[in-house]
Amino acid sequence: MALEIGTNPMDMDAIAARLAAAFADLQDVRVQEPDTVVARCDKGRLHELAQGLKDDPEVGYETLNFIAGVDRVKHLESVYHVYSWKTNTYLELHVEVPRGKAELATVTDVWPAADWHERESWDMVGIRYLGHPDLRRILLKDDFVGHPLRKDYVDLIENHPHV
Amino acid sequence: MSDQFATDAPDEAVKLALRRIEEATARGEGSDVEGLAFNQVVVNMGPQHPSTHGVLRLVVTLDGELVKDVIPVIGYLHRCKEKLAEKRTYYQYIPIPDRTEYVAGMNCEWGYVMTVEKLAGIRPTRRAEFIRVIMAELNRIASHQVAVGTFTADLAPLGTAMVFYMFRDREHILDLLEDVSGARMMFNYFRFGGVRYDLPDGWVEKCRDLMKRLPKLIDEYESLVQTNAIFLQRCMGKGVITQQDVVDYGITGPNARASGVARDLRRTRPYSVYPELDFAVCTEDHGDVFDRYQVRMNEMRESVKIVEQALDMLPKGPVQIGSLRAPYVITPPPGECYTAQENPRGEYGTYIVSDGSRYPYRLKYRDPCFCNLQLFPKLLRGNKIADVVAISGSIDLVLGGIDR
Repeated sequence: MALEIGTNPMDMDAIAARLAAAFADLQDVRVQEPDTVVARCDKGRLHELAQGLKDDPEVGYETLNFIAGVDRVKHLESVYHVYSWKTNTYLELHVEVPRGKAELATVTDVWPAADWHERESWDMVGIRYLGHPDLRRILLKDDFVGHPLRKDYVDLIENHPHV
Repeated sequence: MSDQFATDAPDEAVKLALRRIEEATARGEGSDVEGLAFNQVVVNMGPQHPSTHGVLRLVVTLDGELVKDVIPVIGYLHRCKEKLAEKRTYYQYIPIPDRTEYVAGMNCEWGYVMTVEKLAGIRPTRRAEFIRVIMAELNRIASHQVAVGTFTADLAPLGTAMVFYMFRDREHILDLLEDVSGARMMFNYFRFGGVRYDLPDGWVEKCRDLMKRLPKLIDEYESLVQTNAIFLQRCMGKGVITQQDVVDYGITGPNARASGVARDLRRTRPYSVYPELDFAVCTEDHGDVFDRYQVRMNEMRESVKIVEQALDMLPKGPVQIGSLRAPYVITPPPGECYTAQENPRGEYGTYIVSDGSRYPYRLKYRDPCFCNLQLFPKLLRGNKIADVVAISGSIDLVLGGIDR
């Protein structure tokens, strides 16, 4: 397999239009200069959409760049940043997760790289990725209490028995 | 002192390794080694192992001499750099990215500053852009010297000869960086819209002088290793990263380029003044340990070329936009932004969400080492235990970036 990097034959607006036409689940598709398409999707549709985005013959977002968990106070958000080799462009996919029930389907079976990124998002923001093969904390220690990048996180000394 | 640290109880990673052995036994799997009864051993490597270059811990399951499974355990150098951003203004946060990938501080700072500039719509001055390129490329050479130097030291046949040569010459580069910024590694040199100080008198000549000497020094390094049969035997064909791995796991930087993937963000997602500079994207074909070493050696030469060109093209003018006070208070409009720059280890991305205040609402690093380390279990499986050191050295990890 020879991996070539595309030269972005379509312009960004064409890619955005194509994605909006091909995937009904993508909402609020807009272009962020110079090379990123930003979109939203419902959390129930994420897994199917991810597989579709990866397998798309023209754009094909084959590589997961990173997942960022963001606490928007009203809700949590899981941001998927994926890369398309064919067009040399990025897609930023925002998925809202309710605060009370922060659960989301895993995409580790679509993008293997999601494994650690989902663990990090769970560790820091507390989004539980259902179906993840090994959802442990990754940066913080195993017995850490709470998810520090949530805006309502309070650091209590009782939570640090080793100090 | 409480006894809580001195516990013998296995932690989650060791439990997982033991559980996997049990599962394999239950499935009736035998040893891959001929004549060996099925008897797997869990070896804990690190976090204070000298060859892991930092506090990386690998829980290795061995089947005889073969690696059956690897579970990397990270987080020993976690210093809450993403949390720190919540309580610091954009300006106050500038020194922190230095501490992520501490051997390439200039590059990391640039990644952060570039993202904020893009968010806030600031354009740095032209002279500052060239100074930034020079600093980043000097730091890239220094970083590759650390990477290759420590990697060859791990391989034993050369002992510590190579690492001393490389650290000797790296010190000249760090001297140059110290002259402009005041620090050897934690620079705090970049500012929104430019850099903190202009180049001091005589710096350009000093830099030119070093750039003239460096290619010969790089030849010297190569003559030391590339004729060494033991070195070649330990490197050739070991730890191959395929192009499918590059796609699946988001491998970037020299590790991807050694597998023939010509992805270099300075070319494929150009930023700053790189489009005006002439340099080659170094690639190799096999993706093994040796090719990763070779790519880094070639990239050092290319970086020398870039620095020389940038010095020739260095325009006159201010190194900061507007008055010096202006960038202190910066309030980017609400929104989010991701920029990536080609760090010595790969795509170093910074993702910032702004809510329009003086503090970043959310800052997230996309660290190349974090993504590269994720491939370890797949990469190391089936190799001999001695090659774990060679392969992990060739991936070039910096734990400050992985643990953030």
